[in-house]
Amino acid sequence: MEIIQKEENGIVFLAFKGRLDGKSADEAEQTINSILKGDNNRLLFDFEFLEYLSSAGLRVILGAAKEMKRRDGKFVLCALNAYVKEVFEVSGFGAIIPIADSVRSGINEIS
Amino acid sequence: MTENNRGTESILLVDDNPTNLQVLYQTLEVTGCKLLVAKDGETALGIAEKASPDLILLDIMMPGIDGFEVCSRLKKDPGTESIPVIFLSALTDTKDKVRGLQLGAVDYVSKPFQPDEVIARVNTHLTIHRLKREVEQKKDALEAELEIVSVVQRRLLPKNLPDIEGLRLAAHYETSLYAGGDYYDIAELADNKWGFLVADAEGHSAPAAVMMAMTCALFRSYPEPPAEPGKLIYFLNEHLCKVADPSFVTALYIVYDANQHTLKIARAGHPSPMIYKASEKKAIEYPCGGVFPLGIDAYAQVPVTEAELQPGDRILMYTDGITERFSMDGKTYGEEHLLRRLEGDGNLQPRELLAAIMKDVNDFANGRPADDDQAMLLAIVE
Repeated sequence: MEIIQKEENGIVFLAFKGRLDGKSADEAEQTINSILKGDNNRLLFDFEFLEYLSSAGLRVILGAAKEMKRRDGKFVLCALNAYVKEVFEVSGFGAIIPIADSVRSGINEIS
Repeated sequence: MTENNRGTESILLVDDNPTNLQVLYQTLEVTGCKLLVAKDGETALGIAEKASPDLILLDIMMPGIDGFEVCSRLKKDPGTESIPVIFLSALTDTKDKVRGLQLGAVDYVSKPFQPDEVIARVNTHLTIHRLKREVEQKKDALEAELEIVSVVQRRLLPKNLPDIEGLRLAAHYETSLYAGGDYYDIAELADNKWGFLVADAEGHSAPAAVMMAMTCALFRSYPEPPAEPGKLIYFLNEHLCKVADPSFVTALYIVYDANQHTLKIARAGHPSPMIYKASEKKAIEYPCGGVFPLGIDAYAQVPVTEAELQPGDRILMYTDGITERFSMDGKTYGEEHLLRRLEGDGNLQPRELLAAIMKDVNDFANGRPADDDQAMLLAIVE
């Protein structure tokens, strides 16, 4: 699991690469928490290169979503592959976390 | 340097030369450890076995069995393998040092030695050995506690599956690390109706076990017989929201009317049930609307899906530990595999069919241990 971070126009971008599962979830959570220590209130997760997502990974995403909600901020997940999208649909998480087809449309959604 | 418990620790000194032994003895007296001595390999092995010293300083060139052989035998004996060995030898060749370390020694000191160096190395290795022992003891204690949690948790599952006229049942339950987050339960309702619950608390081990136990307590304390799936899911969520953060629980609840063979299904973040239609000889993931998992946020409304079964039909409720079981090369077992298994073997009893599914899952994993808990509840209409 690799997480690449950048910040542009007040949006924090986190690009995930690899598998977000029970093995990588804790580390990913720590990375996200350290990034969210600031006062950023617009967050975009780029999942184009996220291959696999387990329920432990969903917990990490949920944690970020809750934190953004506490900050009255905006959060979007972008470019999910078919498998990850299905995880979101089956789990019902799609109803509580906004999903965009591409990073570009994700940016529009939270700008 | 930590020097706790030095008074109760012991060091075995092994050298065939009495003068060397004496110098070593005097050098190490300052450590405060109890010092044992042996003048040859055989004696050293005998003392090591009886007294279990905390460290052995071992000469290599000795009459009879040499130090290499002594070390090798110590490492082969489960009673002495964990005792750290430091070689102390006039052999200064690198290949001798490497050989000693390959035999399992923790260090190698060349003779003639500097007393301060020997004391420092001895203290270091005694500390490492003690810390290692403490970590192992704590790990054993924690594992013992987890096993107790696991035993208590299994008592929360139904002791026996009920006899339901016209419906045969079987369940499978397996945790990945002693205690787990998977849960299934069955409630007897009025008018020959039955409630089947399968739930999965996110994660595994102790934290998931606590959430699983909470879900069980809530299910059994529901103020009326849980005949309305939507209401039950709403109730579980309302209470789990107060405690689950940042975790969650997925759940599937089905009320089965054994007279009419009808189903009412409510789903919270959990995989839909799989239904095998005998008339079509085909199993599908039965499409059910649902809500996100329990414990996150309030639900506006919980959708309920209805279905009807015919004789010979099968319904499988499962947790994602089954479909997301990994093979050695990182592939997941998947829904398709499970659907095909559910279609097969027409004459099998539910228990046999679950055993066949688990065999297939384990064959697929091919020795890779399960990362997650695995639970299934299977019903076949007679």
